[in-house]
Amino acid sequence: MSERRTIDSALAGATLTGASVSSIDYRPVAVMPDVRVVKIGGQSVMDRGRAALFPILDEIIEAKKQGVQVVVLVGGGTRARHIYAIASELEMPTGVIATLGKYIPMQNARMLQMLLAKHGGVFILPDDFEKLPLYLSLGCIPVMSGMPPFGYWEKHEEGSRIPPHRTDAGVFLSCEFLGARRAIFIKDEDGLYTDDPKKNPQATHIPRITAKELVARNLPDVVVERVVVEYLPRARWCKELQVVNGMKRGQVLAALQGQDVGSIISA
Amino acid sequence: MANQLLRGDGRTHIESRLMRESLQDRQVLSGTESERDVQIFPDVSLVSIGGQSIFDRGKDAILPLVDELAVVKRRHKIVIGVGGGTRVRHTVSIAMDLGLPTGGIAQLVGAMEELNAILLNALLAPHGSMPMQRDHFWDLPLYFDAGITPIAISVPPFHFWEPPPLDGAVPMHGSDFGMFQLAEVLGMKQLIFVKDEDGLYDRDPKRHANAKKYDQIALADLIANPPEENILDEEMYRTWAEAKNLKRVVIVNGLKPGQLTRALDGENVGTVITK
Repeated sequence: MSERRTIDSALAGATLTGASVSSIDYRPVAVMPDVRVVKIGGQSVMDRGRAALFPILDEIIEAKKQGVQVVVLVGGGTRARHIYAIASELEMPTGVIATLGKYIPMQNARMLQMLLAKHGGVFILPDDFEKLPLYLSLGCIPVMSGMPPFGYWEKHEEGSRIPPHRTDAGVFLSCEFLGARRAIFIKDEDGLYTDDPKKNPQATHIPRITAKELVARNLPDVVVERVVVEYLPRARWCKELQVVNGMKRGQVLAALQGQDVGSIISA
Repeated sequence: MANQLLRGDGRTHIESRLMRESLQDRQVLSGTESERDVQIFPDVSLVSIGGQSIFDRGKDAILPLVDELAVVKRRHKIVIGVGGGTRVRHTVSIAMDLGLPTGGIAQLVGAMEELNAILLNALLAPHGSMPMQRDHFWDLPLYFDAGITPIAISVPPFHFWEPPPLDGAVPMHGSDFGMFQLAEVLGMKQLIFVKDEDGLYDRDPKRHANAKKYDQIALADLIANPPEENILDEEMYRTWAEAKNLKRVVIVNGLKPGQLTRALDGENVGTVITK
């Protein structure tokens, strides 16, 4: 029998997981560190329609005019919840639900592109990151779905059928790939609270917290997807999540300019 | 019962169980859960052919396996997945030296598997086979009715979005995980890994003469007492432990003719991991 014909490399004999690969001196390079990735919430913004969305888009356009490189990602919202509810009743595997979950943020991204077209809005697909330098140098505002492309490969998480990686995760992972330091989430609240402020009037605002402190609080509800809080401490580039209130004028622009508004969750 | 559009809090909701709810709320999430998942293709077996263990050995290892597949595919519904082998390791080692981000590395590796998928298909096509596009699962009934065996690549399409690994910079979600997830989400009968060892051992049999092979082992025991060197990725075991559908993973020796056929026939050969 022929032997394995291996190419000599630092990893030739290694299993590709675990610490066995530490022989390589890994010095990561940032791909596009100046890009600001911002997410427009599905339920919190898109489902409110024009009244909520237009002022936010005005601030994004203004930021671009000021020279900020903005990439817009968008969430799903109530239509995603609707398909999740029906698919869950039908006992669909999480990977099927994650696949269904791709379609609604895609619709929302297309809506945003139509609105931003005259200001340079271009709809991009997950694999179009390689064209971002072109789009940004032309003064475009790339718009895409926030849903990661995991689809059928999304893992099941104990105690839930809902895909753990949704559009918040997509925004964080996009930042991490691009080498951006901060992921910005536009929602309809001032950021992080001790409880859901829509249901509990006693809930108080948290301006700054670490991921570790947030996990330690073991809150029944958090403002961003739990996987993002879990990944944050081990991220190489994206060390902060900023949640701002898109219902308050000026917050989005301030965040895009790099100001500390809303709530900041740090690694 | 017509769906209602509800306004009033500024947002327009479609009435549903998850309406207005936070999808981070544990209680809300648990309302979506049940003991079982729909099994979409329960009579299909997924056969994963190792990159390093089979393809990198060339003709001597590949051709007998093709002969065996050409016969056994007439009796069993199978999907074939292929690994990338040593070229994947070379890609990753260069990419890491260059400092490319984890998501960038994940984006690169699938191409090395596609090469093996094309090679295998060129050999198996006269007996009925086709490369399967990423997630074109809904074509599977058509493939099987036509006697066509689909050939898939193994790595999952996490690409630029590969999450930060628990340790180091190499993507955590590799081929073994990708194969597992394919079998799991489609509710397949079993996942068979075709390697160049008789199964799973308590230590690397290539280096230890007294290594002991597991004939059958439960996933929980394997996680509690992991072998010194595992021939399958840890992430696969972690994910399997949280999953609902797949009950059987088999590791067979593809260098010994007949082993794969026996596994497809439901025999306990090689190492059978059960859950």
